Amino acid sequence: MEVHKVNYEVNATPTLQILTEDEIEAIYFSSLRVLEETGVRCYNPEGVDILHAHGAHVEDKNLVKVPSWMVERARSTLPKKVTIVGMPDKDGKRKYRMDLVKNSAYWGTGSDTPYTIDPFTLQRRRSTYQDVKNLAIIAEALPNIDFFMSLGITQDTAVGTYDRWQYLAMLEGTNKPINITAVDVEGLRDQLEMAYIRLGGKEEWKKAPAFSLYIEPVSPLSHDPIVIGKLLFCCDNDIPFVYTPCPQAGATAPCTLAGLLVQALSESLFGIVLSQLRKPGAQVIIGGLLSQMDMQTTVMAYGSPEMALLSAAYTDITKWLMVPMYNTSGCSDAKVFDEQAAMEATLNTFIAGLIGGNMIHDVGYIESGLTSSPDMLVATDEIIGMVKRFLQGIPVTRETIPLETIDQVGPGGHYLGTDHTLRHFKTEFWKPTLMDRLDWDRWVKAGSKPMRERVHQRVLEILQAEREPLFDEKMYKELRRICELADERHKGEEMGIGIV
Amino acid sequence: MSKILEQLATAIIEGDIDNTPKLVQKALDEGLEPLTILNDGMVMGMNEVGRRFKAGDMFVPEVLMSAEAMQAGLKVLRPLLVASGAKLLGKVIMATVQGDLHDIGKNLVGMMCEGAGFEVIDLGFDVPAERIVQAVKEHKPDIVGLSALLTTTMRQMAYTIKALEEAGLRDKVKVMVGGAPVDEEFAKKIGADGYGSNAAAGAELAKKLVGAA
Ligand code: B12
Repeated sequence: MEVHKVNYEVNATPTLQILTEDEIEAIYFSSLRVLEETGVRCYNPEGVDILHAHGAHVEDKNLVKVPSWMVERARSTLPKKVTIVGMPDKDGKRKYRMDLVKNSAYWGTGSDTPYTIDPFTLQRRRSTYQDVKNLAIIAEALPNIDFFMSLGITQDTAVGTYDRWQYLAMLEGTNKPINITAVDVEGLRDQLEMAYIRLGGKEEWKKAPAFSLYIEPVSPLSHDPIVIGKLLFCCDNDIPFVYTPCPQAGATAPCTLAGLLVQALSESLFGIVLSQLRKPGAQVIIGGLLSQMDMQTTVMAYGSPEMALLSAAYTDITKWLMVPMYNTSGCSDAKVFDEQAAMEATLNTFIAGLIGGNMIHDVGYIESGLTSSPDMLVATDEIIGMVKRFLQGIPVTRETIPLETIDQVGPGGHYLGTDHTLRHFKTEFWKPTLMDRLDWDRWVKAGSKPMRERVHQRVLEILQAEREPLFDEKMYKELRRICELADERHKGEEMGIGIV
Repeated sequence: MSKILEQLATAIIEGDIDNTPKLVQKALDEGLEPLTILNDGMVMGMNEVGRRFKAGDMFVPEVLMSAEAMQAGLKVLRPLLVASGAKLLGKVIMATVQGDLHDIGKNLVGMMCEGAGFEVIDLGFDVPAERIVQAVKEHKPDIVGLSALLTTTMRQMAYTIKALEEAGLRDKVKVMVGGAPVDEEFAKKIGADGYGSNAAAGAELAKKLVGAA
């Protein structure tokens, strides 16, 4: 059949939809009811005052009930797109950019795991500064990783000021946009200062922020004073922030997935309302790590089909709300990078891509977010490559339906030498970098390496490659100075109990 | 095993909060000793719950219902046990340490301890060492259970243990610790009496610490 010229409908990409508009509305209006009638606990007095002054009802000091019209009004000033741009290369150009907007997918790592898998000994151990830097170097080298979060906590630095050191380690490893964590507002301020230094001034930040902050409401329906303090600081300083809960169905949220969605949305909408009151236009990303508590082990499941399903359903909701989504994929409950890890990462990465993004985090997590794995990171980069190919769909045009060529080749011929094949073979097919398609003999000659070994080999290649530092010694010292000053200020609080 | 004790064990297994105290009362009326009712009825039931949970035949919500039934029965039984001079498992104080908001794991450990027959006092989350010391003075528990989910708050456990020492209370209580980034090695390093990696292990540990397992 030839391509029609009129009334011709195309499906430029595959589509996935979990919730209908009616279902989304049912969830949204239920969330409004929760905010209005059940209310949320906000333990930050400044936050409570702001909400109260603008029409929220406050009972029992900190139980805040937010009328629906406040949510509706907040939505009218909420940015539909958030842009984060990485750090400048040597030529001064900031080449890594994320436009977080409906139906765009960017993948990145997860943060703050207490453990990591040592890339050289393959032992699980507590993570250090060097690990964070190494994992950032790997992320920098991977084509499908768009942003970085600290895959490991720096535990060989001061405990109470680890966040600055961790940021420094990340900056040493990558120029990609970063989603940071901060111990408190002071830690956030220090890291902002470091970003200004690295960017060459506050003006560059004004053009586009180089990091976002990861903060979380406490499920069910509670908002911590320090977290709200960070939220307000972000609004005041043009820092985009991710305000997403980690509800566990059956434990810290209703057991049904729809019930969990309602609660999670109430929690994030509260952050949206407060942020827009503080500063109309404040940049917020919502979403979360939405999953269940495994009722056998009590572990929060990172690799479950429910996690993928919930994240996809929530993405439908954020698309309807027109607010950027913080999605989850590339993570697993497996203890090592093994078949389970690959299976779970493939499923959740595929779903996160199909549903349309946006900021998809936790690539590289194993052991339910407690351990980071360089192998998992590298393997998931390949999975994302496959998924991205799938998302390109099948364009159906005159060029892609080559009737002339079919006619030329005719029955019994072949297409290997045709112009049409030459024109398309490089772009039509995804090119694997780790997946094996050798014939048996060549595979044996190449060392009979299973996937696991090929992945690990790639990790080592990246880490052992020669590389130029991303910035000079003078810059390093200036950045380090912020960390040292913070250590100095907090010297007395260290208690002398290091972990590593 | 007498019929009433069997019924009591079944009520515990089924998490029957309404019937358990009634059955306890009935057993008392039949003239059974409080300690017999506890050990040969309720604890039998709870042991079966533990076995089924380990085998994957029972799940957390069901186990928690059984724990609640256990507590409902104990409410009737406890004063009589105390009066008879029988040795009870004792009291556990649970807290998530200062600076830490993760509380569901701590809640689970507390509920499992209740299921084992302990009386549990929950101080909540973000609890400063000073408040824990205060609570130990007030409630005189046998065990203090501390939870931390952050590498940055783990040291609060050490600080709490030190505060207990300074208040002269350290040898009056056992301290058990847990939470995702905590491990055996860290527990030893800070001088805790035990570490548990999950809620069931926590309850087992608690029993061991009071010499009941
Ligand atoms: C849910 C969650 C949250 C929720 C908690 C809500 C709540 N009501 O509890 C919220 C959103 C609030 C949260 C916040 C943060 N979190 Co959090 N969170 C988690 C997550 C995903 C699951 C924890 C959980 O509930 N597990 C299920 C429960 C049942 O298991 P559990 O707590 O481990 O408890 C079991 C055992 O450990 C043991 N146990 C626990 N306590 C005790 C005590 C005793 C005595 C015994 C014997 C046993 C025992 O028994 C329990 C039951 O089996 C973990 C990841 C993970 N896999 O652990 C991250 C995690 C712990 N969080 C992390 C981080 C970084 C944070 C934040 C800093 C994020 C941020 N940027 O703001 C904040 C910190 C807030 C604060 N000041 O505490 C990191 C830890 C980093 C670190 N420094 O060590 C983790 C590991 C995730 C990650 N890789 O980033 N988090």
